[in-house]
Amino acid sequence: MKQSVIIVLLFFMIQSLAFSQKAENNKTQATRLLIENYTFKADRKTSVPVDHSKFDILKQDFARPQDVTLACLSCHTERHSELMVNNHFTWDRKEKILNHGLISVGKKNILNNFCIGVESNEVMCSKCHAGYGWVDTTFNFQAKENIDCLVCHDKTGTYKKGMGGMPTPQTNLNLVAQNVGLSSSQNCGACHFVGGGGNNVKHGDMEKAMLHADRNLDVHMAKEGEDMNCTECHVTENHNITGKLYALSSENNDRVSCEQCHTDTPHKNKILNNHTDRVACQTCHIPTYAKANPTKLWWDWSTAGKLDKNGKVFEIKDSIGDVVYFSKKGNFKWGRNVIPEYRWFNGLAGHHLVTDKIDTIPVQLNTLDGSYADKGAQTKSLAPSKIWPVKIMRGKQPYDTEYNTLLQPKVVGPKGSGAFWADFDWAKSLEKGTEYIHEPFSGKFGFVETEMYWPLNHQVAPADQALKCTDCHARGDESRLSELDGFYMPGRDHYEWLDYLGIILLVSTFAGVLIHGGLRIFFRKNVSH
Amino acid sequence: MKIYIYKGFERFWHWTQVLLMIILALTGFEIHSSYSLFGFENAVKLHGVAAWAYLILIVFVLFWHFTTGEWRQYKPTLKLLKAQVDYYITGIFRGAEHPTRKLIYNKFNPLQRLIYLGLNILVIPVMGVTGFAFMYLNYPNTTFELSSLDIVALIHTIGAFSVVTFIIAHVYLTTTGHTPLSAITAMLTGWEKVDPNDARAMVVNEMEVVLKASESHLKTDDHKKELLDEALEETEKFLGMKREEKFQNVIAKSGAGYFRINKLGYYGAVNDAWIRLYKYDSADEIIGKHYSLSRTKEDFGELEKTFNRVLQGETIPHGEVKRVCKDGSLGFHTVTMTPVVMNGEVVGVEGFILDTTVRRLAEKELMENKILMEELLKKKEG
Repeated sequence: MKQSVIIVLLFFMIQSLAFSQKAENNKTQATRLLIENYTFKADRKTSVPVDHSKFDILKQDFARPQDVTLACLSCHTERHSELMVNNHFTWDRKEKILNHGLISVGKKNILNNFCIGVESNEVMCSKCHAGYGWVDTTFNFQAKENIDCLVCHDKTGTYKKGMGGMPTPQTNLNLVAQNVGLSSSQNCGACHFVGGGGNNVKHGDMEKAMLHADRNLDVHMAKEGEDMNCTECHVTENHNITGKLYALSSENNDRVSCEQCHTDTPHKNKILNNHTDRVACQTCHIPTYAKANPTKLWWDWSTAGKLDKNGKVFEIKDSIGDVVYFSKKGNFKWGRNVIPEYRWFNGLAGHHLVTDKIDTIPVQLNTLDGSYADKGAQTKSLAPSKIWPVKIMRGKQPYDTEYNTLLQPKVVGPKGSGAFWADFDWAKSLEKGTEYIHEPFSGKFGFVETEMYWPLNHQVAPADQALKCTDCHARGDESRLSELDGFYMPGRDHYEWLDYLGIILLVSTFAGVLIHGGLRIFFRKNVSH
Repeated sequence: MKIYIYKGFERFWHWTQVLLMIILALTGFEIHSSYSLFGFENAVKLHGVAAWAYLILIVFVLFWHFTTGEWRQYKPTLKLLKAQVDYYITGIFRGAEHPTRKLIYNKFNPLQRLIYLGLNILVIPVMGVTGFAFMYLNYPNTTFELSSLDIVALIHTIGAFSVVTFIIAHVYLTTTGHTPLSAITAMLTGWEKVDPNDARAMVVNEMEVVLKASESHLKTDDHKKELLDEALEETEKFLGMKREEKFQNVIAKSGAGYFRINKLGYYGAVNDAWIRLYKYDSADEIIGKHYSLSRTKEDFGELEKTFNRVLQGETIPHGEVKRVCKDGSLGFHTVTMTPVVMNGEVVGVEGFILDTTVRRLAEKELMENKILMEELLKKKEG
């Protein structure tokens, strides 16, 4: 009886151990990922349904790019109505912003800490506008021929946009118009890789190298792997492109997520799956960003404007060739293989508008809402806040010391226009810029530190490079999450006083044992003598 | 002198618990970031597996404790508690005797009772509850979730330090037995080396307990009352055979030996248990023999007195007696005798004997020790 109980008991114990062992084996064998809502490379259709070079209307000698648009719309009728409400064209979104309510803001009028703001500088910024001829407030957003179809649908790779968003004079509109197709990563990257004035400057996790990525740079876009296009994830229907970034967006909708293909329980390990409740996939799977080329982490406008002895602009490079000073822009700091910073985020964001008073330093140009305590039940968001990896862009930019507001400078324009990049006079540039947006300017200005949050989503690393437990579950600075507070995390947190007390208890018990034992031996000898 | 003190299950339970506690402590403090040993992920997994294994073990241990009544070992007592503490503080250095004796049915000294009880009803349950809270209540969208792990972590860590402290002290205190290794050896083999005086006390105690257990067994089954009622009050209403059958059924159920002796003192019937206890091969060997051969010469007088009283109509629970088996060896049992009444006349004596030695495999070994003890004592006396 006794033996049989013990055997049963042993059986249970061994079972539970063996079970965990089995789970372990499964994990190592699992090479096939759980994927849904996705067409694998091998199954993708490659045939082209239409040869645009056969259409007579595209064989004409286009004098203006707008004529190409009209030619497109002559067959693709009504597509313009989709574009006219698309923020690639409007640079504007009507959204509920955390600290402002429902308002209409967007790329056209939100300040950042790169080139600061579009307004009064449209002629340059519109190089990345899906339209033709936006140079000032007179641009007609209602004219359908002002839409630029080609920038997103060019398959030749020869289409280049210049000032005002017009194609450069070298562009062969005929060739491009006859070779259009579905947007590829090249089309998206033409703008999205080079935001902020150069490759990888802005996002840090989106750049040209991803067009030729290997697995280590980006598992999704890797040539030898699935070789995915942007639109594989940023699923698009009727020109409504899913996905957006909280540098400009505010609401928790239209997002692209890892879970849409990978589900929210992609791991074999249950404990890891539990993590997905409060940890974004990106947190572990984007261990570093700016893996191929550097990204800008600091931009100090306050030092801009120094000229060399000939009165010319100059730049200074550091030992590895990164530009650390440029007369037009000021001082920079760059980062390669940057370890992200981490924040709680629930999908809602706030923005500091040009009309807002400065109430914190550094000024928070955008704020990611969320906290450990926000578990989704009573808050504005439906899901609990998760820990997200973020690139935090820091810098100094001009503000009105009297009115305590950020300022919109005019930077682009000919000499004498007040544009900073031509005249190098801050007072004039800020005066022109604020005048353009009808905001007050006291004439007194300084430079204030600002911060901007860029949640990271791209350059996902292979699974074996994902963060390990102890990247976060570690004491002090060894933990990547050392800055997040409001919760107890095993491995990271401990009660110092309790550990001290505990160690004192253990040591004194041990010492007590030694002393007691020693005395017993001593007295026994004495007794026996 | 060696005695059998820890049964197989107890030893299995103890050492499994040792293993699990060590695993839990090692992995737990690794998860606490006190050091790295297995690797964090492995530590977490191992901690979880060990926790579940421990829970399964606890279920079996609880079952065992309640079915065997061993839980009584943990009943706290203040009696001799101070004496026990004093012993550890001063007496032990003087070579004084232990203030308490380790007994099969009283294995723990008052200090142990208190500490183990605290461990069993406070530390281990609290560690279990906080541990599982750690694992399962910290994620959102479950039916019940904690707002934060702060308190859970605090309690769990306090518990962890307590357990490790206990282990250090416990391991050390095992060296304070008869010899430094006797306690550990006992937990490994079941057999503990004890002082002869302890052994003697233990035998006496064991007998007492078995006797009580036998009595209470009958009591709780309501059989004893039934038995006596039938024997004394309802005799006339039943035929002897019928009553006998019922009586024997009860006896058979209790595992006791049954006997019937006629007025003249000759065995009329015995059951299989009786035959086994007296080491006979069949009933034929004993039927018709005089009951005097079941006792030593010295003890016979006492039995005769009882026998005669029962013939007068009394029912007598005789208590512990010594029997002489067929091969001349000695055994111990309790005996209860009651008159056999037929047509209003006492025609003999019947009764049942409950063996106080061969209840379990372990006690078989003990039996030999008892006999040895008896012989030793006899020699001493002689």
